[in-house]
Amino acid sequence: MGNLKLSFFLAYKSIIKGNRWTLSMIILVMSLSFANLILIPSLLSGVTEAINGQQIDTVYANIVISPNPDKTYLNHVSQIENKLSQQSGVIGVAAHLNSGAFFEYNWLQKTSPQDKSQTGNWNVIGIDPEQEIQVTTLHSSLIAGSYLETGDRDKIVLGIEIAGGEDASTLSSLTLGGAKVGDRVRLTFSNSVQREYTLKGIFKARSLSANTLAFISRNEMASVLNTVTEVSVFADRASQLLVRTEKGVDETQLISDIKNLGIDGQVRSWRDYGETMGGVVSSFDIMGSLIGSIGLLVAAIVMFIVIYINVVHKKRQIGILRAIGINRSVIYGSYLIQSFLFAILGIVIGGLFFGYGLMPYFKSYPIDLSIGLVSLVIDPVNVRNSIGGILVAAVLAGIIPVVNIVRQSIIKAIWGN
Amino acid sequence: MNIIRINNLQKVYGQGLTATYALKGITLDIQQGEFVAIMGRSGSGKSTLLHLLGLLDLPTAGEIFIEDRNVLKLSGEESAAFRLKELGYVFQEYSLIAELTILENVYLPALCLHKDKQYRNRAIELLEIVGLQDRMNHYPNEVSGGEQQRASIARSLVNQPKILFADEPTANLDGASAEVVLELFRKLNQDLKQTIVMVTHEPEDKKYVDRVVWLKDGLIENLA
Repeated sequence: MGNLKLSFFLAYKSIIKGNRWTLSMIILVMSLSFANLILIPSLLSGVTEAINGQQIDTVYANIVISPNPDKTYLNHVSQIENKLSQQSGVIGVAAHLNSGAFFEYNWLQKTSPQDKSQTGNWNVIGIDPEQEIQVTTLHSSLIAGSYLETGDRDKIVLGIEIAGGEDASTLSSLTLGGAKVGDRVRLTFSNSVQREYTLKGIFKARSLSANTLAFISRNEMASVLNTVTEVSVFADRASQLLVRTEKGVDETQLISDIKNLGIDGQVRSWRDYGETMGGVVSSFDIMGSLIGSIGLLVAAIVMFIVIYINVVHKKRQIGILRAIGINRSVIYGSYLIQSFLFAILGIVIGGLFFGYGLMPYFKSYPIDLSIGLVSLVIDPVNVRNSIGGILVAAVLAGIIPVVNIVRQSIIKAIWGN
Repeated sequence: MNIIRINNLQKVYGQGLTATYALKGITLDIQQGEFVAIMGRSGSGKSTLLHLLGLLDLPTAGEIFIEDRNVLKLSGEESAAFRLKELGYVFQEYSLIAELTILENVYLPALCLHKDKQYRNRAIELLEIVGLQDRMNHYPNEVSGGEQQRASIARSLVNQPKILFADEPTANLDGASAEVVLELFRKLNQDLKQTIVMVTHEPEDKKYVDRVVWLKDGLIENLA
């Protein structure tokens, strides 16, 4: 019988006839270590996905088309919208016409022009409500009033961090201080046009950046901007076009396809467009890698201790095997096979526990964080690294103590010194 | 014909002021087919001598020849192969592998050497010789201490070694079991001309052996 077969024979007998309790403990540790290795990064991936989801749902959609750097607006927007709508995988397109504005609330009660309370500077976005509903979900995050409708001209919808009040998380002095549905708000746009609007609705999304947005109808915004240039030009202009895609669409491919349409503008994924949020997501990715590495190290140490104790208990047996002339490579091979098998069993059982226990649980009961509902998201690269890590850790944990024992004198090993 | 020749064998544990001289220069010849007992008080160096002869440990100085081969010049791997093919061991404490059956324990050393299944038949024959044919599928914890020691003897013989070393093989056995083991050694020696070197501290074991080598303080006291 060759050395490898003999190693397999000894490993097989050791596992079959070894202490069941020890075997169970080793496999349990392996399984939990593996599940833990996947769990934490998956949770962080879940957080990342929740943040991404919120940004897509409330602010950017999936793809953003913006003017080239030398221009302020996209022109001939209706043509672009038509082209985009015909693209496979596109659910909806929404044109945004933006302007900065100075907001005032309760301005009639103020006695001095120096009184800046209940005011602030925010971005106002002109939208076509019917288009917007297909692209973002803010209409379903209203906590008061109702959403804009086509034809609304003197109506405005505000994010909670602009309106202020008890539900806002921003300091009251940095909001309008509690504007309510039906109240009047005065806006002075960046082109000095001043108009008053009735607050039609207040929304509160899970994304803080979304909650600092204000919406009026696109027609209204066009009329605001038209006052300083040619009439009706702004009706077919946009500051951005947001493109919502179907789930599972290859965004990179779709962006490439849209670029091929010859649109005079920049076509980017929301991630490239909203670089700030991309940075947050990258930080989570780095954190995930860091925690994953620490998890692997801890798992390796735990496995090392468990397997080491098991091997040390067999010190005398290793000494006897050497005394009767069994080759060292057979002994190494035997323990290597055992460790490898423990790791494989740990990966399989841990994987099953994760896949059929933790995943469905988190799917049914996601964690309700302020950034959104967080469930587990498996990253195949992380799973592959975890499998590799567990195997390497198990092999090292199995072989190092055996090498130490085999390097001792046979007599010491037999007498257990 | 000398199967073992030992020349000025010394073993020192530790260094300097803490050095302990276990063997102070042993010179000894053992004939092929001889059954030799190494006896002496505790600490006399008898087990140390056996370990050195069995290539389980290295001496501080001296030479060991087995069939005129200087076995101290063997590398680690060569030494393991030599132990496997040429030497057999029976240890003081039960030394069977707990996860293997009695039969598997006996043929384990033969698994490394033989590609055919003859090792199994050889192991069964040996178990018949030591009277354990009915216990071959039992595990070590299912048989008595005496039976484990007899299985150890069978294991030590499976590769037909030139020399069988036994380190106080009856120390942990009751009187009846010890007698069975010693009778077995005598039978192997007489019937198969097996060379046996046995360490013992029991004076009555003398009756089973051809010769006794007495050790005292790491030196041979006299040859009886």
